[in-house]
Amino acid sequence: MSTCRQTASENLALATGQLGELVARLAHYLPAQGPIGVFIHHNTLHAFEHLPFEEAVLEGARVFGTQPYMSEAAYRRDLLRGRIAVRDIAAVLEEEANEEISAGLDRRALRRAMLVPGVREFEPDTIEWRYEEGDLAGSLRAGPARALFDVCLRRTTDEPAARPATGCGRPLDNIVHPLLIRLSANYLEQGAVYWPMPHRELGFLGAVRQLMGQPAFFGPAGLDGLAGDFRDQSALEAAAVVSSKLDELRIEDPETFLRDELLALPGWAGLFHRLEEQPELAPYRRLPCRLMDYLAVRLTLVATAQVNLPEASERPVQASPAALRLMRVAALFDALAALNFTAESAQNLAPAEFHNLEREVSACHSLERRRLFHLAYERRHEREILSPIGQHRRDLLLSGQPAEKIRPSAQVFFCIDEREESLRRHLEELAPAVRTFGAAGFFGVAMQFTGIDDAHSAPLCPVVMKPAHSVGEQPHAGDEHLHGQRQWRRRLWSRLTHGLYVSSRSLLPGWVSTALLGTIPVVPLMVRVLAPRLAGRLRRRLNEAIFPVPRTVLTFESQAKPPGDAHEDFDIGFTVQEKIDRVGGVLRGAGLADNFARLVVVLGHGSASLNNPHESAHDCGACGGRRGGPNGRVFAAMANHPGVRDGLRAQGLDIPADTRFLGGYHDTCSDAIDLYDLEALPGTHAADHRCLREQLDQARALDAHERSRRFESFDESSDPSFALMHVEGRAEHLAQPRPEYGHCTNAVCFVGRRDTVRGLFLDRRAFLVSYDASVDPDDTYLKRQLGAVILVCSGISLEYYFSFVDNEGYGSGTKLPHNVTGLVGLMNGHASDLRTGLPWQMVEIHEPVRILFIIETTPERLEAVIASNAYNANLTRNRWIRLATLDPATGQIHVRRDHGFEPYEFEPLALPVAASSREWYQGKLHHLPIARIGPR
Amino acid sequence: MDISQFLLCTLVAAPGLAFLGLALTWLLGAEPAERVITRATQLAMAVSGLSFAALLALLSTAGAGLQASVHLGEWFRVHEYSFPLILFVDWLSLPLVGLTVLLTALIGAFSVTYMHRETGFLRFFLLLNLYGFGALLVLTAGSFDLLIGGWELAGISSVMLIAFFEHRTGPVRNAIRVFASYRACDVGLLVATFLMHHFASTATYAGLLATPQLTGTAAAMVAALLVLAASGKSAQLPFSGWLPRAMEGPTPSSAVVYGAISVHLGAYLLLRAEPILTAAPVVAGAVVAIGAASAIYGTLAGRACSDVKAGLAFAALSQLGLIFVEIGFGWSTLALVHILGHATVRTLQFLRAPSMLHDYHQLQSAAGGVLPQPGGRFDTWLPLGWRLWLYRFAMDRGHLDSLIDRGFANPLHTVSGWLGAPSRLMHRLTTSRPDPQDRKEVK
Repeated sequence: MSTCRQTASENLALATGQLGELVARLAHYLPAQGPIGVFIHHNTLHAFEHLPFEEAVLEGARVFGTQPYMSEAAYRRDLLRGRIAVRDIAAVLEEEANEEISAGLDRRALRRAMLVPGVREFEPDTIEWRYEEGDLAGSLRAGPARALFDVCLRRTTDEPAARPATGCGRPLDNIVHPLLIRLSANYLEQGAVYWPMPHRELGFLGAVRQLMGQPAFFGPAGLDGLAGDFRDQSALEAAAVVSSKLDELRIEDPETFLRDELLALPGWAGLFHRLEEQPELAPYRRLPCRLMDYLAVRLTLVATAQVNLPEASERPVQASPAALRLMRVAALFDALAALNFTAESAQNLAPAEFHNLEREVSACHSLERRRLFHLAYERRHEREILSPIGQHRRDLLLSGQPAEKIRPSAQVFFCIDEREESLRRHLEELAPAVRTFGAAGFFGVAMQFTGIDDAHSAPLCPVVMKPAHSVGEQPHAGDEHLHGQRQWRRRLWSRLTHGLYVSSRSLLPGWVSTALLGTIPVVPLMVRVLAPRLAGRLRRRLNEAIFPVPRTVLTFESQAKPPGDAHEDFDIGFTVQEKIDRVGGVLRGAGLADNFARLVVVLGHGSASLNNPHESAHDCGACGGRRGGPNGRVFAAMANHPGVRDGLRAQGLDIPADTRFLGGYHDTCSDAIDLYDLEALPGTHAADHRCLREQLDQARALDAHERSRRFESFDESSDPSFALMHVEGRAEHLAQPRPEYGHCTNAVCFVGRRDTVRGLFLDRRAFLVSYDASVDPDDTYLKRQLGAVILVCSGISLEYYFSFVDNEGYGSGTKLPHNVTGLVGLMNGHASDLRTGLPWQMVEIHEPVRILFIIETTPERLEAVIASNAYNANLTRNRWIRLATLDPATGQIHVRRDHGFEPYEFEPLALPVAASSREWYQGKLHHLPIARIGPR
Repeated sequence: MDISQFLLCTLVAAPGLAFLGLALTWLLGAEPAERVITRATQLAMAVSGLSFAALLALLSTAGAGLQASVHLGEWFRVHEYSFPLILFVDWLSLPLVGLTVLLTALIGAFSVTYMHRETGFLRFFLLLNLYGFGALLVLTAGSFDLLIGGWELAGISSVMLIAFFEHRTGPVRNAIRVFASYRACDVGLLVATFLMHHFASTATYAGLLATPQLTGTAAAMVAALLVLAASGKSAQLPFSGWLPRAMEGPTPSSAVVYGAISVHLGAYLLLRAEPILTAAPVVAGAVVAIGAASAIYGTLAGRACSDVKAGLAFAALSQLGLIFVEIGFGWSTLALVHILGHATVRTLQFLRAPSMLHDYHQLQSAAGGVLPQPGGRFDTWLPLGWRLWLYRFAMDRGHLDSLIDRGFANPLHTVSGWLGAPSRLMHRLTTSRPDPQDRKEVK
């Protein structure tokens, strides 16, 4: 309940149709996160995408009560340590409108002084204390300062400033929430609870009515009469209930009221909404979910609580006018002091000038200063990326790049993921004859996949796509008996483990499993805690010994559907033509049209870890938050298909007969790399495979070492093989809140030829999309690439941005008290809202910048490509992403500013050079600038 | 002092000294690095662990029975009363001491990784060491006077672990509720000890328990008060409402405090006071009743609990109830074995709680899609209306919180409001500034 509850008594009930529309509109404010098991990165402020970024963050802050940027103190610290440069502040101010304030003083100079040396932040709650005995009193001890302050005190006008409306408390929530949270959690839970909630088939409102409508001796304190209320409304639809409650509570402005009610528990309301929109997201059990039901239950509880607590005092706490005035005086004083004004010069300002000054100072309030700081912060990042890349390109052009046509020893496709950047770099460093490519990690194969051990199929493609084909994994001919044995034993194991777990939690069976068998687990407990890596290895050994592993094949050939197939919505497998389209599309899109190596590896990726409910957030975004190994495997099998080779040859894409494709999987947490279907590799390629396998093994150890430099608990003087053990231990550790840092370092996305940036140390901060404008004259591939890439990368970038700048408001706070609830989400402790967004441990080393796309094409072509996709055009126009182009021929960089692309000029610079990546990063914990890795 | 007595002292003192050392360093203005905190804790746990192992070896070879005690003098003396500092272990406390040392050390090792880079790292380990010291003191105290000291230290440190995330209102509010429950029940222990002195002029185990000193009404009064204290600590009815609230802290502290050790201290108290309980059969019967009711309550509430940590808390409660039943019937050895096994299982389950999604997914796909429901659903035997009522009862956790709010907290609030009225009136009469109390109510 809030300020919006009015005392007017006229009947304001909305028509149900209107109400439905209103609630649908308000639902956009809710977090879009679904059940936690599949985590899709998305823009936290998706509801405000129609606004320019800088307005949207303010609007979001207003609606959600969150922070739009980092705190001013944080920016100030960055200024002190040199992360924000004064020249960037000047450049930012240069781009904004200027105005004369008084003789010799304009807005730019004022704002600059208010940023550097800067002014203090004042708040209405503390200003009086600070003036009487705090830091403000301290700075006024000197005579001249006191005199200046007195001038400000005297001349500051008394205009009634807009009072900041500090939100009033919501006393009813303390009564309503414990019950509402329990009801929601029990309704939405997915099968881990012994007693499922009765009558869930009736929907949330129906089930709650059945349950709470029962008479009880006493119910929760403050909710007397609830049972009667639920019984009385039993004939009403949810919308009618909401409407009548609005009436009962005498709500004048239903929009604000309902918004506040929804945002009181955004996580739970959001999950109802998400499952209403996409019931298929429910991990194990589909339930009828309607946001209107939730709202009806909520408002019924609120109305009952309201009746029981009519005199709940709700006067918002307002700052006194004196404090507000004092705040303006203090801000003015600080600004004048920063501009080196004296009491005389301030006194000498004409009234109009003084008035101007006052207005300008209050216009440059703390939020505005944080905005300016933030733009400068991003600008510095932009310079440190664009200049070295431009310089490197210039150097390459000068050195007259030799048109090498030597056949590479191998070609390896990775996902565009920025976490693969270091692995690619290390592979190229130690094996210069290997060439690497980046393509969205589903490799053009959108499919509904059922693995051999999976109970259900899952879509492996970006969330915006709906797969039309299904692929299954089946035992290899001759291994069926192993498969049968494995599945039988797995079922037995699952039944035993589950039975033990459940029984240990029940009464009498629990007596047996705790009193009699209880002390047995102490041994595994000790091993798991004290030697996690050893425990993991033992477990794997044991698994292999008990559960035989059959060889498998993928059923991806198109075939007729057996009648009554479970996957009716999908075509089984792909026809030859569909395969040709996919293989040709990915290869051409990445600019690989000739000079194929004997071995082409396609590596999907994912991440497995314990103690990590956010595990899925580390998986492949292009595979819809799942693991992309099967995509690489299917792609390779398609590309090896003789029919596909023939078809591609007919299209002019001639893959030599001795080129073999291999699928694989990279675990970004333990840095393991698996290659699939090796038994199908002809003997002629055994040597190629051995050689590449060795190179991959070395590269992944180096990659583990580079990743580990970010972990304080890693001793980085140790060598790469130890680093590999370190990251393996992290993946297996029950206590490890940071199995990997995930996308924490994302900041840049480069779309272009690998050769343009090959050899640069990009610090795992750049998504790398392979694209060659010279083989894409009509921009078909660029359109296709950017269609997925911008959506995925901006989603990741913005989610990290918001979860970092306000980790409690937009993110989910520290992981340590998280409590898995109903297999759908996380609460803090036993009764809180569902926590959405990213936890602190996932974002703590992030630099909150909007992602900078650098696309190797011309501004004109890019403008056309962007304009062809409404979503991308909107993101670009409203500056949710930053865009730059790198001319493929000349190397000229253009940056998109407010009014379109502008040429980006930079002073020639000498790129730092290091002999190896390790030499560059050794001993450093923080983000590193770009360097060239190679001979000096 | 012989070796075994010395070992007994180091065993208890080590975590206390680690706490003191870290706390003094901090009070002197230095913020110890994570590495230093880790080393200090590891050292303390190693000393405790080795002392325990050596003590056990010594006692089992000495052949004089698994028993050791050391008299460290008196803390103070007032007239007749003296506060004896006696440490004592026997067959009952030794296994529990071993378990406490082992699990606290394991949780310490776990938390070094878990709490890494958390701002409250030092605070967590201070509290963990203090908690370890308190729990060991409870288990090794040789008199009820000294036991109270350990009891309170373990209580306050565990409450502060619940409120570990002090910048949020939820943990603090819940911690205060737990604290209030603890305080209310601790009165039982305090008064029981007074009565022991009153009736038997001593509260040492040797003086009070070796030979039956208390009989009849005296025994019943003391036993009832001890049961009150034990029920509070072990979250038995009607105090069970605090147990799920204790899940606000970091997971390892939930594990060691509410899965493993703290909740079993109440059971230990009753086991220790068994001679008194035997002398008061009515109270022993009450223990059986309380235990049975709590066990049923715990299993009911746990069945309808959808979050993993509170679910484990209720599971722990149902076994604790059974342990109380065992104690009430006088089956001490069984209760002891049950405590040991239960504490271990629950700790492991708490530590795995964050991996629940991962584990469940694996189980589910291994089962081929649908996990069969193990065990029976007894609720389905009931008619529908009853079933709904029972579910509601279970989901709302037996309305225990409302019961306490309505029957106890709200009346107390009202009474304290009356008590405060004169002072508010005086305030209003004597000053012109607004009463801070009034301003608070506006919020």
